[in-house]
Amino acid sequence: MSNFSISVRNHDLATVLHISGFLDAHTAPQLESRLESLIKDGVYKLVVNFDELDYISSAGLGVFMVFIEEVRSNEGDIKLVQMKPKVFTVFDLLGFPMLFDILDNEDEAFVRFSEKGGSQDSSSDAEQDVNDSSEIRRGPQ
Amino acid sequence: MAAFKPNRICVPGSTSELHRVRAFVEARARQCGVGEQGVYNITLAVDEACSNVIRHAYKHDQGREFCVTIEINDNELIIEISDSGDAFDPMTIRTPNMKEYFENFRHGGLGISIIRRVVDKIEYLPASAGRPFNILKLIKSLRD
Repeated sequence: MSNFSISVRNHDLATVLHISGFLDAHTAPQLESRLESLIKDGVYKLVVNFDELDYISSAGLGVFMVFIEEVRSNEGDIKLVQMKPKVFTVFDLLGFPMLFDILDNEDEAFVRFSEKGGSQDSSSDAEQDVNDSSEIRRGPQ
Repeated sequence: MAAFKPNRICVPGSTSELHRVRAFVEARARQCGVGEQGVYNITLAVDEACSNVIRHAYKHDQGREFCVTIEINDNELIIEISDSGDAFDPMTIRTPNMKEYFENFRHGGLGISIIRRVVDKIEYLPASAGRPFNILKLIKSLRD
């Protein structure tokens, strides 16, 4: 039984992955495989839309960590948008907003990509302790 | 076929079973009066613990089962995850420094960090002569 799905669409400024369902240790390999395939094809500007994602565990968080260094080293980024509050809570628990742009919607992500480079400058943020992440976090309003 | 008892579920050691464990935990936690965010956090902690059993203790061997039991005692929700794999005490694992983790773009190894953040107490009982199962206890206070 698969309770997770991914759809991909191209936008002028980035490629959007729309994920839905439950992202756990069982389904995370599907997302990892899809991202790996895109990146192998030279797609480095990625937006992941979470609005239909109901659940994420550490296996899901780990997928984004696998690729973030490679996309940023190629002047791209993985921007995360439209998270439900309960999903954002999991990212926030471990301080992921220090490293990732977590934005309200796709348009915000496209604007960031249209700016210089498009990737989040995490160098100064990463110097903050995880406990201070509330000052820099972005999440569902 | 999973065996259901009122407060217990036993499933094969496969990640494809995680959604059934989560559904069980969610339903029982709600019955115990836990709020929505609490239900989500408890479910997440159990998911992480069961994922560790499947991956590390059973190495994805679907021929082996693990069980999850939920009960309330003195305003505490007590979840026990029992397995017959190699003993693995999560409390012996050093949780990563997240600043260092992000700076080095590491990945994996965050399940225990999540468990520690969302439950109030963790206990681990390795299998013994009188009890051939390891038991991981996750305890969450129901007091606000």
